[in-house]
Amino acid sequence: MAETIDTVAHDEQQLPLGPSPKFVTANIDVPGIDRLEVYRDHGGYQALEKALKGYQPEQLVDAVKKSGLRGRGGAGFPTGMKWSFLAKNTGKPSYLIVNCDESEPGTFKDRMLMELLPHEIVEGTIIASYANGVHHAFIYVRGELAYSGVQMERAVEEARAAGYIGQNLLGSGFDLEITVARGAGAYICGEESALMESLEGKRGYPRLKPPFPAVVGLYGGPTVINNAETIATIPAIVRYGADVYAAYGTEKSKGTRVYCLSGHVNRPGNYELPLGTPLRTLIEDYGGGMRGGKALKAIIPGGSSVPFLLPDQLDTPLDFEGIAAAGSMLGSGGVIVFDEDTCIVGAVARMSEFYRDESCGKCTPCREGTFWLVQLLERLEHGEGKASDIELLNDICDNIAGKVFCPLGDAATMSITSSIRLFRDEYLHHVRTGGCLVGPGARRVAVAT
Amino acid sequence: MPEQDELVHLTIDDHPIAVPKGTLIWAAARQLGIEIPIYCYHPKMEPLGACRMCFVEVERMPKLATACTTVVSEGMVVHTSSSKAQKGRRGTLEFLLINHPLDCPICDKGCECDLQDFTQRYGPGGSRFDVSKRHFPKPISVSEHILLDRERCISCFRCVRFTQDVAMENGLVMEERGYKNVIGVDPNAPFDSIFSGNVVEMCPVGALTSKSFRFTTRPWELKKTPSVCGMCAVGCNVRVDVRVDKVLRQYSRTNDDIDDGWLCDRGRWDVALINSPERLRTPLIRRDGALEPASWDEALRLVAARFGEIRERQGARAIGGIGSTHVTNEEAYLFQKLLRAGLGTNNVDHFHGRFPAAGKNDLPWVWTDSIAGLDGATHIVLLGTETYTRQPIVDLRVRKAIRAGARVWVVTPEPQRLDRLAAGTLRYAAGRTAAVARALLSIVASEGLARSEGEQTRVTAERVAAVAARLAGETPERLAERAGVDVAALRRLAREIAGSAGAVILYDELATRELGGETLAQDVLDLALLTGNFGKPGAGCGPLLGAANSLGARDMGVLPDMLPGYRPVTDPAARAALGGAWNASIPSDAGHDYDAMLSGVVKGLYVLGADPVRHASLEQRARLEALDFLVVQDLVLSETAQLAHVVLPAVAYTERDGTFTNTERRVQVVRAAMQKLPGARGDWEILVAVARALGLSWTYLDPAQILAEIGRIVPIYSGVTRRALGMEGLRWPLSPTEADGKRALAGSPFLTWEMLEQGVSRPASAGAGAGGELVTPSGRSE
Amino acid sequence: MISDDVKQQMREICARYPEPRSGTLLCLHLAQEQEGYITPEGIAAVAEVTGSKRDEIESVVTFYSMYFREPPGRYVVNVCTSISCYLGGCDHLLAHLEERLAVRRGETRADGRYTLRGVECLAACGMAPVLQVNGEFVERVTTESADALVDRLERGETVASAPGAWNVLADGRPQDTPTVSGASVAEDAAGSGRQQGEKAR
Ligand SMILES: Cc1cc2nc3c(=O)[nH]c(=O)nc-3n(C[C@H](O)[C@H](O)[C@H](O)COP(=O)(O)O)c2cc1C
Ligand code: SF4
Ligand code: FES
Repeated sequence: MAETIDTVAHDEQQLPLGPSPKFVTANIDVPGIDRLEVYRDHGGYQALEKALKGYQPEQLVDAVKKSGLRGRGGAGFPTGMKWSFLAKNTGKPSYLIVNCDESEPGTFKDRMLMELLPHEIVEGTIIASYANGVHHAFIYVRGELAYSGVQMERAVEEARAAGYIGQNLLGSGFDLEITVARGAGAYICGEESALMESLEGKRGYPRLKPPFPAVVGLYGGPTVINNAETIATIPAIVRYGADVYAAYGTEKSKGTRVYCLSGHVNRPGNYELPLGTPLRTLIEDYGGGMRGGKALKAIIPGGSSVPFLLPDQLDTPLDFEGIAAAGSMLGSGGVIVFDEDTCIVGAVARMSEFYRDESCGKCTPCREGTFWLVQLLERLEHGEGKASDIELLNDICDNIAGKVFCPLGDAATMSITSSIRLFRDEYLHHVRTGGCLVGPGARRVAVAT
Repeated sequence: MPEQDELVHLTIDDHPIAVPKGTLIWAAARQLGIEIPIYCYHPKMEPLGACRMCFVEVERMPKLATACTTVVSEGMVVHTSSSKAQKGRRGTLEFLLINHPLDCPICDKGCECDLQDFTQRYGPGGSRFDVSKRHFPKPISVSEHILLDRERCISCFRCVRFTQDVAMENGLVMEERGYKNVIGVDPNAPFDSIFSGNVVEMCPVGALTSKSFRFTTRPWELKKTPSVCGMCAVGCNVRVDVRVDKVLRQYSRTNDDIDDGWLCDRGRWDVALINSPERLRTPLIRRDGALEPASWDEALRLVAARFGEIRERQGARAIGGIGSTHVTNEEAYLFQKLLRAGLGTNNVDHFHGRFPAAGKNDLPWVWTDSIAGLDGATHIVLLGTETYTRQPIVDLRVRKAIRAGARVWVVTPEPQRLDRLAAGTLRYAAGRTAAVARALLSIVASEGLARSEGEQTRVTAERVAAVAARLAGETPERLAERAGVDVAALRRLAREIAGSAGAVILYDELATRELGGETLAQDVLDLALLTGNFGKPGAGCGPLLGAANSLGARDMGVLPDMLPGYRPVTDPAARAALGGAWNASIPSDAGHDYDAMLSGVVKGLYVLGADPVRHASLEQRARLEALDFLVVQDLVLSETAQLAHVVLPAVAYTERDGTFTNTERRVQVVRAAMQKLPGARGDWEILVAVARALGLSWTYLDPAQILAEIGRIVPIYSGVTRRALGMEGLRWPLSPTEADGKRALAGSPFLTWEMLEQGVSRPASAGAGAGGELVTPSGRSE
Repeated sequence: MISDDVKQQMREICARYPEPRSGTLLCLHLAQEQEGYITPEGIAAVAEVTGSKRDEIESVVTFYSMYFREPPGRYVVNVCTSISCYLGGCDHLLAHLEERLAVRRGETRADGRYTLRGVECLAACGMAPVLQVNGEFVERVTTESADALVDRLERGETVASAPGAWNVLADGRPQDTPTVSGASVAEDAAGSGRQQGEKAR
């Protein structure tokens, strides 16, 4: 894995903003930065002025393309390209949606941005709307995050009072309305098309694609939807220039992103780092290493919807390509760390319950499959499973993956299939001994292996 | 449709096929006769892609594709039963079965269940599921008619999409989420839709069952006969499902032009009359004041003798006949023939028969367009209608138009179910429909909204002037005041009609019987003509009729002043032609109409399948009681039959063959779905027997022979035969055409100016029988 | 009862969208705030202002986990049970709270005081284990801090609206204690939060 470290191939001295700049979280610890005046005192809304006065919308789309920014919502789709796909002249209004529905287990960056830097999201929303010719943008905040919702609403009201929202912004002739909407408890509503259904006041079922949102989205109009962090990065790109942003990260994964570190580390938290930073750096340097000096057992590098990695993959760079090459996905940036005492079967059962409970129920394999998977995992975890259950789990996953309507179903299988691949012995141990291999509940009966 | 021309070429299981652009793989495979199993997909609803049953493998696509959502593309190579596709389907079926109760032996749906069938064809041989199934209380009553078994439900969303998207009514909804999701009803929004039964038919499993059908039979014991619903004038195409001597239900057999695959609950389940234990099984004769059973022979002889006596003593004009809108065309035709040719009187009519002043020189009062034409309308104006209860499937079709963007105006005295979905509603004083129509027409005339373009160049200044003259002195304001409606609202509506790309204006036939209703039909026709809503698809006007053969009864001349095909009895040529064909002489004066016949002018009355007492005033009832002789032919001892001297037991539409003509002029074949009730006879058989008892030499052996005579004699039905009508029927005016050198029959989807000017009802030559003298061939302006 | 005032607020919410139906979720939140849970009257009011049929609203209500269909307790305690909190010992915490509050998870205590639920990831994984009391976060909960929290709830105190105890520094250097910290009840007296009284809308 040595060469992967080199993918952060810049000479730190020559980097325009130093080795590890903060494009998104620069002023996050400034007291009161959630208020408009303080935000403005620290350079807030200057990017907006620059964008409205100095750029044509297409130039902004080009700049975002050039910055190399990729979506922070999970799929990592190039943001500039997404914007350029927005259908033009359809006769229907276009919309922008900021996806603040953060619910992927292991992910907690968007909530932080909403609580502490709501104006950055608002500023990004305005710039993105201008770039895409959108006159009505929606910020969809996860229902459970009440305080985030309050913060976003207040920021929007403050921005409106300051003339950043409304008619003829800063004399540019550009009009914009922003509405803060709230979810009500459904993970699937983070999926873009389900979010649109929810925003239209319906049950959050994913929509059939094609047509894609860029052509037929909210209210049937062409729609851009971006993650909160993606949007919060826009002001910095405008402010510093696409080149500066693109100077960080790796060849295909530019810039920085906010990694959410949780699990068995000493200092869990959100850390904005250049893409390509090795997992080891995040966990050991920033996370302060393993809690209680325990050994590392496994890592989930991108929220619970992605496969496990092993300790020997610690030097994998945290960028889209590097993590993919290691057999997982960068996903939402939620890095979950498991120590040696964690029973993998128990942990996987817990993650699977999430997908069972959050499946929207529209498609058969996800609705019925997750129901079945959880029952099998629980029975294994409780020592009542059979050896054949392991293959059955794999085959059920095969009947789900690639056969479901939306990516949630695929996501549900990731931890199961990867853990069976990487920790089969632990499953077998449950079958043979009726108990866990590790952890407080471990049943260390001698088993012939 | 330019898209139709663009064909896309693909192969499915090695069979090449070319289909129009936009076709789904599922539909293309179906054309090839290749079955792709589906649950959530339903051809009448938007693709959903939820059940994941219809997997196919498409070369160069990484994942299995759902055939119900994937549109064909050029060069596509599809495999419907590759091992990958098979595994996908097996997986889905296994998932669907893990929570299914597998209670097939006691399930109503057994043998017509897609879960059974597809499991057998595509499913896994066994289940690997050995944990616990979900359980729910069951069955749950979700409506007056329907029970829900949640354990059998496979969450295909068909029923909820039907009630929510198609019917757009309170109904079934999905509740909860994920593995806990269930079909349910909001306890505070009852599922009382007249379209509810469709969900039972479309449920692919036994989750939704009908209370009346439940546990009555196994579906394979049913005898299933394709026919036409006899419950109203829409004429939905049905399959009559009979077990031994009971009709258990009607199912749709889908005629896109009429019902679009749906039925209303009346059609589906309202079989009480047919199955009634009160059905008459023997003729009755009044003896010493009481009706007593008698033999057919005796009854028929008595009828002939008593009518003969009355004719002898008081003349033919003392005899009359009240016909039915429920009997077939053949029977209606024979009825008026019996009265005209056999008893020598034009005294023949039916309730709602004479349609007051229906444009003497224009069309008869018929719907100038068609039910399917509503799909293309941009505006629909419903004037004095109650479509939801009286023509439910037209109501459903209006809802379809609303989904497609049509603006619907509900202009009625009372609130209607459709109000919620309407672009506008207008309320007026009960009984004033004609004033509303006239006000609209006068706004069009006085505001200069008449159009003269395209087909409409025939809207001449003279025609506008003629309308204006007819309306002289009646200002929109005065008319609106008479109707009790806001004139400004009427003006808005009139402008919308005039500015529309295609407006359909419909009124209920009942409205013509309101006081002052004589002007309604003509005014609405002029409203359509002047605003350019005539002679093209997606536009038009006309009445919505009530009963299964309301139109047929009129077409067949069950009218005092019109011979079959709307030829006036006063027209000597028409009389001569018909008399020649019948070998009889037809009286030259118009007969007494319905009301007159109930006012004492006739002494002997023949009532066929009607129950005038139900609509009668006290005085009329007294007149009926005072008749010298009253014969009633019906299924049960109706109120009128209770007054009769002779009662003749007839059979229901499910027990005999024939044809009905629906409200959009479509002639359709009705088929006997069961044995006749022992002792009763078909109306046509009874009429033939009466005629023979009267000494006429009628030799009809079956309804087909009568229909053939109609095809020879009635111009608008020219050439009609059972075979020509096929399974889907044809709209009149019918006319033989030369297709590929073969003679074929064509019907007309909408009426044109040419037909209007000639008067469809009045062919240039009334000479019957000769094919060369037929009226306007169809499709002229298509 | 949904007051006219609340109905008016609902109408204003709906007016913010191109189609009134988009106001459904927010209006339901409002109805729930007013009545404690989603009642048939609440559904009727939302159906009316959004121009929907009531069965559609009923169906929407049941899709989302935040709407109560029965009166919840005065304090709704939602303990996150997803993976990061699981690694942080949430099962133990939940069991402790079951005992301390004398109510089983998923249930409301008979006296209507507490509803205790296990919920899905609350986006606070770095501060695991976490719980919410009536929608407000309490982070890094230990059995001791949970007991202290319950004590205060017993005294009728509320948990204030405040940002999370975020572990961030502008220079990205790691730190041991949160610099930007909110009213985690365990550390901070309830009620001192900056935005107390502000209601989520
Ligand atoms: C089941 C599911 C849940 C998702 N949840 C979120 C979410 O909570 N937040 C988010 O930004 N994107 C989420 N996404 C991704 C969105 O669908 C979408 O791709 C994203 O918002 C696009 O923004 P981006 O291009 O800026 O990443 C989810 C996707 C799926 C399939
Ligand atoms: S995979 Fe299917 S059931 Fe699961 S969330 Fe997506 S659409 Fe819903
Ligand atoms: S029929 Fe295709 S997914 Fe259901």
